[in-house]
Amino acid sequence: MPLTREQITDALVKIVGTDQVVTEEAVLKESSIDRFRRFEELHGVFTQPLPVAVVYVRNTNDVSAVLGFANEHCINIVPRTGHTATEGGLETVVENSVVLDGSSMNKIIKIDPYNMQATCQCGTSLQDLEDRLREAGYTTGHSPQSKPLAQLGGLVATRSIGQFSTLYGGIEDMVVGLEAVFPNGKITRIKNVPRRAAGPDIRHIIIGNEGALCFITEVTVKIFKYLPENNILLGYTLDNMKTGFEILREVMVEGYRPSVARLYDQEDGAYHFSHFAYNKCVLIFMAEGPKSIADATAEAIESIAGKHSECVKVDTRYLKTWFDHLNWDATDVARERAEIVETKNIGNTTEISANWDKINQIYETCIERIRNEIPDMTLVGGHSSHSYINGTNLYFVHYYNVVDCKPEEEIIKYHWPLKKIIVEETIKAGGSMCHHHGVGKHRTPWIRDEYGSSYYILETLKKAYDPEGIMNQGTIYPKR
Amino acid sequence: MNVLVCFKIVPDLDRLSIDDWMIDNCARVETRFVNKIINPYDESALELALKLSEQARGVGVAVTLQALTIAGGWANLALKKLRALGYQEAVRIESEEELSFDPEKVATLIATYIHNTNSIDLVMMGRQNSVGDNAKTPLLTAELLKWPCINQVTAVEIDTAGIYQVTSIADEGVITRKVKPPCLLAVGNAPFSYLRVPTLKAIKEQAAQPVKTLDTAELRLFSPFLPLISGVELLDLKIVNRKRAGTIIEGKNAAEKAGILYHSYLKGWLADL
Ligand SMILES: Cc1cc2nc3c(=O)[nH]c(=O)nc-3n(C[C@H](O)[C@H](O)[C@H](O)COP(=O)(O)OP(=O)(O)OC[C@H]3O[C@@H](n4cnc5c(N)ncnc54)[C@H](O)[C@@H]3O)c2cc1C
Repeated sequence: MPLTREQITDALVKIVGTDQVVTEEAVLKESSIDRFRRFEELHGVFTQPLPVAVVYVRNTNDVSAVLGFANEHCINIVPRTGHTATEGGLETVVENSVVLDGSSMNKIIKIDPYNMQATCQCGTSLQDLEDRLREAGYTTGHSPQSKPLAQLGGLVATRSIGQFSTLYGGIEDMVVGLEAVFPNGKITRIKNVPRRAAGPDIRHIIIGNEGALCFITEVTVKIFKYLPENNILLGYTLDNMKTGFEILREVMVEGYRPSVARLYDQEDGAYHFSHFAYNKCVLIFMAEGPKSIADATAEAIESIAGKHSECVKVDTRYLKTWFDHLNWDATDVARERAEIVETKNIGNTTEISANWDKINQIYETCIERIRNEIPDMTLVGGHSSHSYINGTNLYFVHYYNVVDCKPEEEIIKYHWPLKKIIVEETIKAGGSMCHHHGVGKHRTPWIRDEYGSSYYILETLKKAYDPEGIMNQGTIYPKR
Repeated sequence: MNVLVCFKIVPDLDRLSIDDWMIDNCARVETRFVNKIINPYDESALELALKLSEQARGVGVAVTLQALTIAGGWANLALKKLRALGYQEAVRIESEEELSFDPEKVATLIATYIHNTNSIDLVMMGRQNSVGDNAKTPLLTAELLKWPCINQVTAVEIDTAGIYQVTSIADEGVITRKVKPPCLLAVGNAPFSYLRVPTLKAIKEQAAQPVKTLDTAELRLFSPFLPLISGVELLDLKIVNRKRAGTIIEGKNAAEKAGILYHSYLKGWLADL
């Protein structure tokens, strides 16, 4: 017999104490969704089953005890930290779920400048860690746009990436070691060493698990010297994305590692750079690091861009205002919410990656299909913001007016069909359907196509670590 | 009913970086390098007019909307966007001049356009601009036209008899008045007035249609309001150095302190007034 809501609440209170268990309806409502369903939420519509409670854990033992209890009674657990998820990872799709919130576990445990690593609890906001590090002359090198809001647990759980990734890498390149709790309550620690060859790298079972395998309680990341005085920002306008991809590729292939390497198309560019780039694509680079490296990187980029006659250099002062407003904080989120309510215009994003020989084709096909197939579009464009030796990502940006439909139909009429086009075209071309937001709940229909024969490995992880299927049902793995 | 909404494109001051808030020798802030937006109060006026035309349709009154800006060719994009949103006409008075500190000139150009058009019965515009910030343009325009002007407007509707019902904020609170056209509305902090967003399809349909452009000099030639143009040209801005220092008046009691205050400070100052 499954436990009732009251029985679950009583048991949780016994485990962690009354103050840590919140059952207020308003809190449960906002805890039943994430950004993916914000149009419904903004219109007071909640379509997902409300969780029983939100449990604010204080330490690893709390996490272990709650998971052990949930596992025994087959209660679905949705792990959460910063609540900035974009793909439905936080939706409580199963009746009587419990949201396990790690945001109170927010201690920066140790900053170790000799071994160049920092250890934090899962609820540490990246902004707090970064501010502390910068005061001491260091940085994590991680700078997702959600830096002021997202927290270490979620950042690791989604395989997040930041705006300086071309130099510092994604979170998977930064994480040294971790502590995580598995559904049976087992606490596991992976030690912090420079490298190991003692079997497969098990960090990658935890990094990117989106709360579908375990709960991350502690993270240790590398730190780097923070040398902003050496930064060199470069920008160019150009006529088409194809040339831009070629330039990005050449910079990477020739061995240069600017921290920022971004290419915007005309539509997305107009949104950010209308003051200098009307109807133009925009390329932006930032060379950083020790002065000699930053100077050499900038010089090489100038020479590579200079070979393309359509590239016109932009006064850096135009880019500085953009660079100084890279991140989104609570004020931006509040403004966006007001705008959506008033204008019924909403924007979302879909991020994919592919090799150099396929990226432009994916870009062109998706943009054309969206323009032709999706109604009421007000903006469809994109940018590449993370480049690698063998390819790059594309961050599609899609805005539409919600017309003639109920708030709960917005996803069906617009968002799913849009995602479907981008995901299907990407997988068809051999790319990856998720570059950095995770699978969440809304890309699971294509998870088998994404993995192909290697889905066996992914599937077996779930069977091995979460045999009762209590961890964030419907996330990464299709709902049972 | 013909409604004209006047708007201005301004630098988005929220996008200025902290170090850019440096005031140069001419008391100006460098805004060339930030995005441009429609002045937020004007944006509200543009949206309120769209809402008005929808409400008018509901009561069977035909309302046509015109948008007007005084700017260079770079403003055509915004004008076309407004046409894509339902403005029947979008007009640009050609000018690259910096008019932020010359509300008389702006008001004269707008009033001349209205006078020459001879068909507009309601004018809406934001009550003030983020740069220059004199809040004079709507008042001066109304004065030139000899039209009534309502300030701090937050909503407007029309009835079947063509009478406007205007809601505004005054010292006493929110007031709603019935107004017979012609009339000028200076829009203030109106709730629910983010400008809606045109679809790509509507923008594409408008892209090839040219924007109606008028020449400033030509317009002035036919202006009945010419003598009112200030003739003042902004040459320079200087920061007024207002240094203040505090003095603590010492005294045995309040009466003695008041006496010192009067004799040593206030007496001479009051005599100068
Ligand atoms: C405005 C905005 C900008 C963004 N920009 C970027 C960007 O530049 N780069 C980028 O990568 N992402 C970006 N994102 C997406 C989002 O911020 C990231 O996915 C981030 O990593 C989520 O962190 P969080 O702490 O908010 O996690 P949450 O939203 O709380 O959770 C995200 C997912 O991780 C799981 N999870 C959370 N905590 C834990 C835990 N302790 N253990 C196990 N699983 C857990 C959740 O169940 C969920 O599936 C952006 C989002 C917004 C709203």
